[in-house]
Amino acid sequence: MINPANGMISTSSSSANAQSPGLKTYFKTPEGRYKLHYEKTHPSGLLHYAHGKTVTQVTLANLKDKPAPSTPTAPPSSFSASSGVRSAAARFLGAGNGGRALGFGGGNGGSKSLSGSSRIGSLGASSSSSSMTNTNFDGKGTYLIFNVGDAIFISDLNSQDKDPIKSIHFSNSNPVCHAFDQDAKDGHDLLIGLNSGDVYSVSLRQQLQDVGKKLLGAQHYNKDGSVNNSRCTSIAWVPGGDGAFVVAHADGNLYVYEKASLKYEEKYFILTFISHGDICDDMLALNILQSKDGAGDSSFPVIKDQTQFSVAHARYSKWSSDKADDGSSGRSCMMWKSPVRFPEKGVSTYWSFDQPPPPAPSIFVCLYHAILVQSNPIARWHICQGSINSIAFSSDGTYLATIGRDGYLRVFDYSKEQLICGGKSYYGALLCCAWSMDGKYILTGGEDDLVQVWSMEDRKVVAWGEGHNSWVSGVAFDSYFSSPNSDGTGETVMYRFGSVGQDTRLLLWDLEMDEIVVPLRRGPPGGSPTFSTGSQSSHWDNVCPVGTLQPAPSMRDVPKLSPLVAHRVHTEPLSGLIFTQESVLTVCREGHIKIWMRPGVAENQSGNSETVLLGTSSKEKPLLSSKVGSSSYRQ
Amino acid sequence: MGAAGSKLEKALGDQFPEGERYFGLENFGNTCYCNSVLQALYFCVPFREQLLEYYSNNKNVGDAEENLLTCLADLFTQISSQKKKTGVIAPKRFVQRLKKQNELFRSYMHQMLASTVEAVSKHFRVAGACGLVETLVGNSILYSNDDAHEFLNFLLNELVDILEKEAQAAKSDPETSSPPEKIANGPKNGHANGVRKEPLVTWVHKNFQGILTNETRCLRCETVTARDETFFDLSLDIEQNSSITSCLKNFSSTETLNAEDKFFCDKCCSLQEAQKRMKIKKPPHILVIHLKRFKYIEQLGRYKKLSYRVVFPLELKLSNTMEDSDIEYSLFAVVVHVGSGPNHGHYVSLVKSHNHWLFFDDENVEMIDESAVQTFFGSAQEYSSNTDHGYILFYESISASSKS
Repeated sequence: MINPANGMISTSSSSANAQSPGLKTYFKTPEGRYKLHYEKTHPSGLLHYAHGKTVTQVTLANLKDKPAPSTPTAPPSSFSASSGVRSAAARFLGAGNGGRALGFGGGNGGSKSLSGSSRIGSLGASSSSSSMTNTNFDGKGTYLIFNVGDAIFISDLNSQDKDPIKSIHFSNSNPVCHAFDQDAKDGHDLLIGLNSGDVYSVSLRQQLQDVGKKLLGAQHYNKDGSVNNSRCTSIAWVPGGDGAFVVAHADGNLYVYEKASLKYEEKYFILTFISHGDICDDMLALNILQSKDGAGDSSFPVIKDQTQFSVAHARYSKWSSDKADDGSSGRSCMMWKSPVRFPEKGVSTYWSFDQPPPPAPSIFVCLYHAILVQSNPIARWHICQGSINSIAFSSDGTYLATIGRDGYLRVFDYSKEQLICGGKSYYGALLCCAWSMDGKYILTGGEDDLVQVWSMEDRKVVAWGEGHNSWVSGVAFDSYFSSPNSDGTGETVMYRFGSVGQDTRLLLWDLEMDEIVVPLRRGPPGGSPTFSTGSQSSHWDNVCPVGTLQPAPSMRDVPKLSPLVAHRVHTEPLSGLIFTQESVLTVCREGHIKIWMRPGVAENQSGNSETVLLGTSSKEKPLLSSKVGSSSYRQ
Repeated sequence: MGAAGSKLEKALGDQFPEGERYFGLENFGNTCYCNSVLQALYFCVPFREQLLEYYSNNKNVGDAEENLLTCLADLFTQISSQKKKTGVIAPKRFVQRLKKQNELFRSYMHQMLASTVEAVSKHFRVAGACGLVETLVGNSILYSNDDAHEFLNFLLNELVDILEKEAQAAKSDPETSSPPEKIANGPKNGHANGVRKEPLVTWVHKNFQGILTNETRCLRCETVTARDETFFDLSLDIEQNSSITSCLKNFSSTETLNAEDKFFCDKCCSLQEAQKRMKIKKPPHILVIHLKRFKYIEQLGRYKKLSYRVVFPLELKLSNTMEDSDIEYSLFAVVVHVGSGPNHGHYVSLVKSHNHWLFFDDENVEMIDESAVQTFFGSAQEYSSNTDHGYILFYESISASSKS
């Protein structure tokens, strides 16, 4: 905070030069220079050969100031409000981490007291070997969450420290994807997907408050890959989904989870009776506690046709009882409750609670006290053959876009579970995708080195960006960019977007839909120099029906975009980028992150951008560019 | 060895493709360059089928002289007719024949080099290039003939030579009944009417041959000189952290010939600045891409291996190298060079068969995941412990043929 901006820039610049010769610390755009501001990385000693198999992804997390649970005088568990439920969950979900969370919770107080010290004060500590402390954590701020090898690292975005402030190591498998939702209701805001298929949800705040290297207070889903043991590839919160999230896997399946697993906690009475085989299937005949630890795993039917999209809902849920199966086999148990109340989602349709109890021979009745543990996941979407490489929700949560190994972009109506549209890459797999803030366009990037612009209105590709010399591994719209000629009333809507590739470069693009689509449809009078006015082909005249996938377009049929800026930003192939209000972040596969300040920002902000970030973040969610609804793009 | 075979069988289980054989090839001392290419060719299904067909048609025609073609056909037949599904085979006859031909191989390379130098000198009207070949050979710029790419090139050209000779012999001896069938898979050039010898289109050509157009535009008189040349593979210059798509783009990008490198324009009758570019006129059915990972470094006086990370997609189109082409290719084999230098190292191959990827390392065969292919892209940093690099890529056109 005290350091003048220039000083910080020169520090980071010199270190950048030392580390990566030949790389410039700025790049020019029509608006001005983007300057390298900070770099974030991880302890290099930890790099070992095997880790090359995981690719670093980065997630921005903005923690809002939540006074109540994060005050130093708070009870050991900062989630006291829900701790009762959590302990029950831990018990019933059999998550070992859950128990540990409560045990370690007491340690928070001590470290919290240090949070009053300034960031500067923490610099020395965090650059030393014992840097993994939470002294920097003051309950709020913007953090970078990134995975490298077997660990998740958390860095403070607004600190000049290169080293992370926290590392979490996973002993069972490597973390490969993550997602954050700052509006998560019960504190579990961070999702982590593992190479083994396992999924955790945790509280970021709780992790930051602890000095340990273990994940704390986690909900563990798909434990040991029990539902699906293929690699997690992408994970996302359902916007406005009340804690629901989806996880994409390398085998082409996507699972829907309802996070609040004990939302429906009720006391159920269980009527047990000797089955004489006269109980209908749909009458709630089930075997209690088939799995000893009572984990609420769902089961799904075998996928009949691997090539077809299909959705399966968890056919039945297992129920957990605090009085375990009494061991007598061949006994069916029946759950009963009065008054009958069902979960709103997920399981209700599969149960017929309100039917009268079966007649005799249910002579003998036994009462159990049971807690409903909602089984997770609640649904499986089989989307494609081969891996789903990435998924993205439109900002309002209406649509879910998926891209994968088969080269297809697919757009689904999420709540209707229906395919709306989609199309194939020019060739090869697609690797990344992102929505525009207004939900009108989707960017994809892939193994054909192209950045593809997909129009939701036209349900087809409207432009190809040519400029990468290798695979395109990250795409994002710049939701903070306001085009110089847009006064809010003009018809021209300009989109700015960025892409990064395995060619180690960051490319910025301008997309003016007037220039691209309109001239092509109405015949090109003069045309724009930025694209080739190809012959009008069927690709442009056909209206693509809803629910169909488009084949790969011909090279000459798609208008081409040229990048505004192409800048080599790292020495390693890149894996992603994020736009924030003040900067653009680039990250490489090996886990090095660079933060490039927008023109004008670095000089004015004196290196402390926190106030601005927080100021805006209280009004909207500016940090997750994919989730922002920016007014300047409203029509 | 047998255990490995059974392991593979176990891994594939009931998905083991009907009638397919996965056999490792024994190494006869530094013959991995040969084994890796042979596996790639064996799993080039149209090539294998046509070779086997040719062999079965010609087996009985006298006791034909043994040559590389018969040895290769013999080896492939041996593999495909094995009772066991997996195992190891010794390509003894083939390797012996190859060794016999080793001298020929050397002289072939010599000749190739000489003709290249000659062509270059003729093309640019550069005098005094005559001694260059000897100099090059003397300085052993020609690195060892254990190079997989040179072997592939040599083998394909040998096969073509043999087929052409047979066809010629058949033509001059019309009594022999077999010739028309002999080249049934490769009908000869339609207008082979004159006395002039038309190049015969054999089944080897039909699989591997493509045509490149070398266009040179004189910047003074604007005359475009187009020269067609055939190829069995494309040798691409590579760059760090690039893709095959990008290398292909560079391959066909416009290059300006100027300064020391001017073009002799026939119209202007003088050396002129010119623009040159290569385009694919006719894409091959099997597209073989050779990455130029071995680069002669003048200062070092020797070859150096470039470990650059060059990503190759499992599907590819040639739009950058060819106008109006949306023919899609699918990767089915990769010959991998293992090692940090050109003079030592090892070759292995990755092969896609019936939608499974297999890893062939001489006598060992393993099943691998498709995603493991990307571990052979190369290294983003110069010094890396990863030395397994994709060297020759085999793509098959999937739009043109109805693949089984």
